[in-house]
Amino acid sequence: MRSRFSTIAIHAVLLGYTALALFPIILVVMNSMKMKRAIFLSPLTPPGPASFDLIGYHRVFSDGAIGTYYMNSIIVTLGTIFFTLLFGAMAGFALSEYKFRFNKLLGLYLSIGIMVPIRLGSVAIISLVSGMNMINTLSALICVYVAQNLPLAVFILSEFVHQIPKDLREAARCDGLSEYNIFFHIILPLLRPAMATVAVFTMIPVWNDLWFPLLLAPSGGKQTITLGVQQFLGQYVTDWNAVLAALSTAIIPVLIFYVLFSRQLIRGLTSGAVK
Amino acid sequence: MADNQQIEMVGMNRSAYLRVLAFFLAPAVLIYTLFSVYPLLATIFDSLYLRHEGGALTFNGLGNFQTLLTDETWSKPFWNALRNNLIFFIIHMCVQNPVGLALAALLSLKQLAFRNTYRTLIFMPTMLSVVIIGFIWQLILSPLWGIWKMGLNAVGLGVLFGPYLGQEHTALITISLISVWQFVGIPMILIYTALLAIPDELVDAATVDGLNQWQAFFHVKLPLIWPTIGLVSVLTFVANFNAFDLIYAMQGALAGPNFSTDIMGTLFYRTFFGNQLQLGDPTMGSTIATMMFVIILMGLLVYLYVIQRRIQRYSF
Amino acid sequence: MAQVSITSLQKSYGSVDVLKDINLEVEDGSFVVLVGPSGCGKSTLLRSIAGLEAVNGGAISIGGKRVNDLAPAKREIAMVFQSYALYPHMDVEKNMGFGLRFAGTPKQEVAARVAEAARILQLEALLKRRPRELSGGQRQRVAIGRAIVRKPQVFLFDEPLSNLDAALRVNTRVEIAKLHKLLGATIIYVTHDQVEAMTLADKIVVMNQGRIEQAGKPLDLYYRPANTFVANFIGSPAMNMVEIEVTGKNKARTLAGGELGVPLPARAKAGDRLTLGARPEHLTLGAPGKGLTGQLDLVERLGEVGYAHLDMAGGGRFIVEVRGDVKAKRGDKVGVVPDPAKLHLFDANGKACAS
Ligand SMILES: Nc1ncnc2c1ncn2[C@@H]1O[C@H](COP(=O)(O)OP(=O)(O)OP(=O)(O)O)[C@@H](O)[C@H]1O
Ligand SMILES: [Mg+2]
Repeated sequence: MRSRFSTIAIHAVLLGYTALALFPIILVVMNSMKMKRAIFLSPLTPPGPASFDLIGYHRVFSDGAIGTYYMNSIIVTLGTIFFTLLFGAMAGFALSEYKFRFNKLLGLYLSIGIMVPIRLGSVAIISLVSGMNMINTLSALICVYVAQNLPLAVFILSEFVHQIPKDLREAARCDGLSEYNIFFHIILPLLRPAMATVAVFTMIPVWNDLWFPLLLAPSGGKQTITLGVQQFLGQYVTDWNAVLAALSTAIIPVLIFYVLFSRQLIRGLTSGAVK
Repeated sequence: MADNQQIEMVGMNRSAYLRVLAFFLAPAVLIYTLFSVYPLLATIFDSLYLRHEGGALTFNGLGNFQTLLTDETWSKPFWNALRNNLIFFIIHMCVQNPVGLALAALLSLKQLAFRNTYRTLIFMPTMLSVVIIGFIWQLILSPLWGIWKMGLNAVGLGVLFGPYLGQEHTALITISLISVWQFVGIPMILIYTALLAIPDELVDAATVDGLNQWQAFFHVKLPLIWPTIGLVSVLTFVANFNAFDLIYAMQGALAGPNFSTDIMGTLFYRTFFGNQLQLGDPTMGSTIATMMFVIILMGLLVYLYVIQRRIQRYSF
Repeated sequence: MAQVSITSLQKSYGSVDVLKDINLEVEDGSFVVLVGPSGCGKSTLLRSIAGLEAVNGGAISIGGKRVNDLAPAKREIAMVFQSYALYPHMDVEKNMGFGLRFAGTPKQEVAARVAEAARILQLEALLKRRPRELSGGQRQRVAIGRAIVRKPQVFLFDEPLSNLDAALRVNTRVEIAKLHKLLGATIIYVTHDQVEAMTLADKIVVMNQGRIEQAGKPLDLYYRPANTFVANFIGSPAMNMVEIEVTGKNKARTLAGGELGVPLPARAKAGDRLTLGARPEHLTLGAPGKGLTGQLDLVERLGEVGYAHLDMAGGGRFIVEVRGDVKAKRGDKVGVVPDPAKLHLFDANGKACAS
């Protein structure tokens, strides 16, 4: 039994750290909705009737491009998730289901990418992408992100395929399903929870990445929101309303998403990384 | 007969079997090979060539590496970036991981109210883009806004305030701590899960043996989560030697002031793309990327052959 | 329906031979039960018939047609798995009709067959449920239903009842027997349960280490086991065995020295070593000095009957069936008297001696 005192102490420590973790975020979101004077005079008070002002957001959205950047990020993220899950599940299924000579070796080959960061190949990726005339396209980003996320997806999904009882696949074989139909009608539906987990934690690094958008799609209206905000911030450094509003615009959707899916995300992190 | 052993599917001939394999494996293998393995190999390959004015390439063996390590114009920035990167890593190991462990230990206490809420909230900064985090902290630390100054004044430490990001001797430490602040959630979550996996009976048994809560933690739980701590360390290593975004977002490609926050990632970026001070140099860029690869590989090998071998794994 | 014949079947995993020269005839419409100790290859044999395992040699034919190289779906078999293997993401109706839909059977036909199977198995009320909303027994019936709708030539069951509790197992066993009558189907059935084997089978096949030890009618196996393995395996408690040495015509002695009068085969000559087997119910306890000598260790009283466990002079233990209320206590010296007409004799290789 813990004493009352130590219970209070534990909560004090945790609360203190939680405050430290949230303070900067809350500060920015709060001040983004205030008048410039209020931002500087009373940064710690929430916006009130006297200080409330959305001028920063006006400026951000009148720039016009933010909407496009959002769309770009959504397309890139969804595209990456779709192909990562599809190809990852297919490969994971084949690796855990079929016996063939290079099975183990192929598994090892694919899993190198779990630990070795794809960024190290950036020089060659750029010449590859420009050779294919894909600079400033979203497809280039999707290809790179799929390649980046596939190794872990294959690894996790093949573990999950492994957990699907062998009898089910054999029953399907007795029922006359082709191997393709076994995958699409039996395995894929049963992998859905695992895929949700993989999806949620593929999504975050892709959404937040700065490096590849900077290298592969830095202009031409193909910027993702992360890069777009970064460029916007560079232009408007002195306009505090605009800066705070731009930051909040980038933060809020991610936070909403996180609050909705935090359970899946954390399960994904733990099941993916600990094994 | 040997080939027959490979095919376990009755009623399917060899070519049909190969078609099935190709259908399922080809997309993943192709895209991964083309966009991940090939670029990595090409980069390593590139680092063996020398680029002349006009763009012609000649084979240079390990010459680029010699230049990088010994030629004053290259070696100074290189050793500087490597040293900074090491400091960056050491600060993470000494602050991020112990804090993560401590938070995980608290969260995993039995019958703790609101534990999921704490966990979710503390993990929140990890979710945000490094760019955003960098900018937010830049604003907070800015003397213009004065939030940090107000905070220090409030606790009577006002004298400690300074332009942290603008001073050579404080910029790197400040940025490292901001990174720690953002990513502490990852060690916390991983260690927390490992702690939850330890059966309660073990701690109960220790309690019956007369250990108090602290002793039980240090003598029973901690030894059981060493593998996770090893994993956290190697993940930290790989992430740190691959970092770029935060410094680029806060200090720009020049990693100022006076390169005091320059790490391998920014050095690589600057070398490859060039900047106000120099022209881009793809082969030297590749050389630096290859060095990063070698460093990360060494870290992984240390992990696989030293840490993982030494650490006894237990299953419950 | 069809007969199944298996000739010289061989199967190995790497260097381990799991099935060695299996020869088996399953008559059209018969119910064949495979039994044997764990790991002897029953499931492997069944799965080879189904086409889920590739075999290394020999032939399997179903309905007179060689099926070695046919995919499972083309063999006109249906398999019921121990784990039931119901598709968790489909309701009962879809589970049962799934294979037919993929075979291109017209919708009405599928619906009609599913309805028919549901009626036979009393599943009508459950058609819209998912497998996880069913009890073990209901899942079992759905698994059987899924097999029935395919109208297969042969049904293959791998320990279908082992996940059910005792009472349900008895019920379902009766159901399966009825179903067999109703459909007139050929069934090959693997089980660990002797009662299931004895009550359901037209023919029992006893396997051991990848070989068939004996195949025959249940009571034949019980009364005329071909060798010591089958004698030991069939019947519970197991048959008692003791080594004897022939001393003369219809005379022998145990190695401990007790003299016995037993009917011996004509060609037995003095000095031959044989194994004498007697089932617990064919032995009676008598006064010490009669028959074999033993010392009572304990009596398991099951009610009407009891089993007396004896330590025999000269080593070994015997189990003798007694009345449940027999008055005997630990340490009593007793004589064990066999019924001479019900004895089994096996030669030095463990083969039954023709009498
Ligand atoms: N995939 C496999 N690889 C290697 N050996 C296997 C494989 N499957 C089965 N075996 C071996 O083949 C032998 C026969 O297995 P099988 O499953 O047929 O036994 P069984 O008679 O059904 O046993 P049980 O009564 O326990 O179900 C066993 O010794 C088993 O270890
Ligand atoms: Mg079996």
